[in-house]
Amino acid sequence: MAELELDQVTFTYPGAPAPALSSLTLRLKRGEFAVLCGPSGSGKSTLLRLIKREVSPGGKLSGSIRLGGTPLERLPAREAASRVGLVMQHPDNQLVVDTVEHELAFGMENFGLDRSAMRRRMAEIAGFFGLEPLLASRTDELSGGQKQLVNLAAVLMLYPDVLLLDEPTAQLDPLAARELLGIVQRLNEEWGMTVLISEHRIDELLPAADRVIRLEGGRAVFDGSPRAFVREARRRGDASWAAYLPQVTRWALAEAEGAESAEADPPLTVKEARLQWASRDPALRAGRPSAPAASPARPPGPPLIAAEGVFFAYGPQEPAVLKGLDYTLRQGDFAVLFGGNGSGKSTLLQLLAGLRRPQRGTVRRIGAAPAARRRAGRQAADASFSVGYLAQNPVLHFAFDTVGEDLTDAARRAGADRPEDEARRMAEALGIAGLLHRHPLDLSGGEQQLAALGIALMSRPQALLLDEPTKGLDPPARRSLAGHLARLHAAGTTLLVATHDVEFAAECATRCSLLFHGEIVADGEPERFFRGNLFYATALHRLFPDGPPQPLRRQEGATVR
Amino acid sequence: MSEGFGIRSLHPSVLAAYYAGGIALGMLLFHPLVLLAGAAASLAVNAALDGGRAWRRGAPAFVPMLLLVIILNPLVSHRGRTVLAYLGDMPVTLESVVYGATLAVSLLNLLTLFVSYRLVVTEQKFLYLFAGLSPKTALLAMMATGLVPRLRRRLGELMLVQRTRGITVAAGPLASRVRSGMRLMQALLAWTLEDALQTADSMQARGYGTGPRSAYPDYRFRPRDRWALAALGAAAACALAAWALGFGSLRIYPRLEGLRLSGGDAAALLAYAVYVLLPLVWEWRDRKAWRSWNSTK
Repeated sequence: MAELELDQVTFTYPGAPAPALSSLTLRLKRGEFAVLCGPSGSGKSTLLRLIKREVSPGGKLSGSIRLGGTPLERLPAREAASRVGLVMQHPDNQLVVDTVEHELAFGMENFGLDRSAMRRRMAEIAGFFGLEPLLASRTDELSGGQKQLVNLAAVLMLYPDVLLLDEPTAQLDPLAARELLGIVQRLNEEWGMTVLISEHRIDELLPAADRVIRLEGGRAVFDGSPRAFVREARRRGDASWAAYLPQVTRWALAEAEGAESAEADPPLTVKEARLQWASRDPALRAGRPSAPAASPARPPGPPLIAAEGVFFAYGPQEPAVLKGLDYTLRQGDFAVLFGGNGSGKSTLLQLLAGLRRPQRGTVRRIGAAPAARRRAGRQAADASFSVGYLAQNPVLHFAFDTVGEDLTDAARRAGADRPEDEARRMAEALGIAGLLHRHPLDLSGGEQQLAALGIALMSRPQALLLDEPTKGLDPPARRSLAGHLARLHAAGTTLLVATHDVEFAAECATRCSLLFHGEIVADGEPERFFRGNLFYATALHRLFPDGPPQPLRRQEGATVR
Repeated sequence: MSEGFGIRSLHPSVLAAYYAGGIALGMLLFHPLVLLAGAAASLAVNAALDGGRAWRRGAPAFVPMLLLVIILNPLVSHRGRTVLAYLGDMPVTLESVVYGATLAVSLLNLLTLFVSYRLVVTEQKFLYLFAGLSPKTALLAMMATGLVPRLRRRLGELMLVQRTRGITVAAGPLASRVRSGMRLMQALLAWTLEDALQTADSMQARGYGTGPRSAYPDYRFRPRDRWALAALGAAAACALAAWALGFGSLRIYPRLEGLRLSGGDAAALLAYAVYVLLPLVWEWRDRKAWRSWNSTK
């Protein structure tokens, strides 16, 4: 029996010219694990919200949505709320009360359960999630991954039949994302929970999923098994489809392109790739590269910003975040900074940008001409710095009611003669000219990132420091951002990017560093850096420990762009 | 120290009664010696709770205030028959000096009680008490208290990043600082409201507003709570009886009577001190349990 049935669902937002979803038909069997993918604005969130009646958007809806055979709108309020669980994107905003234990109990309180029943469910769910040690913690002291775990557990407290997840890992680092998806997978396998999850990065999900549904412009353009999805992507040869495949699969598809052999199925994981080809390709069996990894050596540029022996802590009682760190950003670098959560990447970026002062050690700007440095010293707080900084949360950069005003203000402060023109030029260069009249908070994550980048670029910085710019972006937005950064770099801007996104680094960077325990523990060219790494490495580097058969940049370029 | 130990292990309603009684009696009784005994007793409670650390942290804030009361009262109030000295043509009377001192001791007593209240009655217990009356109000109160630190943290982030685009309250002419400040507040509000919408979604998604709510925090009313309530009631009744008979309050105006304690005053002092010290019985009992456990190990 189908747990969840959507029949010819068409939905139009009030005032919208075209429907957000059109004649969508979908059946989810009990215990199925379905992945929903598609570019931003394709209707993924709208679909999930329509199924979750309490948060469904206002608008014109036709067709029917049935849960276990009963039309959704006919369910009593409490049943509807408990039978469908929803986890959303932002870990912070879903938390309502102060402690973890109380947060988990919140849903049960709403249902008026008595205390003994609440205690029992608490014991069950907290046990399953391993949350007992955190029960007494305050929710605002948790890491992002822990918060999202608590949000998931809090939803499960109501014992839902269907679990909906709307980009649950977009704001998490890869490790926390993997942990969360692991739990979702266990729920599906061990409890037989029906799961419908929308995600941009579905590498981790494809091997576990039963179904992949791809939406484009409000229509389901694909609905089938992950293997069939890969075959379809291959058949179409469409980059926007290929972008959703795991890197190993993309590589295998590109490899098989010339051969035209009717390959059984391209691999979805590193393990499958090894097993499939180890018998066929002697180079793979030996773990040797089939072609030497050649990356053109660039002479290092002159130092631009240098941190020497930097110690930093957020308070006298707090542990030191950076402990005697040395790092030099050189002119012409496209440098990438890796490091675990809380390793001090953001702090280091803020120190290099001059937003914070180290307690010990110095951060010097060497690159700036003496006159510019003098000016910067006098107006330390002014925008006339030659260093731009882009925070992890782009929302922090906006101060006005429209993107246009924000850009114009930034241009005026940068001393432009005709700030309006300057703003329009910048928006056109970044491809957001159509958004100038919109409120910054109404934009998608990728658009916000570009608008914030525009604000930071107005002062024409010599160096630009970006904190996890690809976080939460869908593949097209990520590609567009990477393109803009590559163009900036080619035009002579020095870039430093703190990120967890290994593939992004492999595509773009000229230098990679690893921050650990408050110090830089590895620093070098991407190829040398990735080779032999197991965690801070792309899937292809894991497949080929001695380096991929051909330079990754070229290979990526062939499949992605 | 853990929640299940000594004074902290008592039921929130018992603790609420204890502090309500302690504060009420502290305001009814007005004799410097009685109040001094009360303050000393609640200081002892503080010492048992955390070695007096919280009290010492708060002292720099309230001791100057108490001194101010002692100094200001004789300067402002000239009632009383016994003139000690003249400041210019202003009489400084013994009565107003004593009144000011008594008032200061009374405040000291209340503040010390309040410091221990903050240690013992956690937010959880407070909410438990409230949730019984109105679960919605309790939820609202808690969300509101959580909002303040969140806003402060966000403003900090916002100020740090907005400085990079020149919007700052730390530099520049006053007019531009004010403008920047307004900008920052506006951005903070827009951002926070946007997020609040998602929080509201998350609440509704988990069935908020579908019917009557229950409250999760649970405290059991144990035998020791019954004993505590009975003993506190008895001590409070004694103190109240003494007060009703006119003891435990010093007659200061128009003419100061002696500071010596009458029999009734002594009874009021004793009853009040015993009342304030009573919860220490459980502190002592639980500590003894640890000591004997350690010695038999």
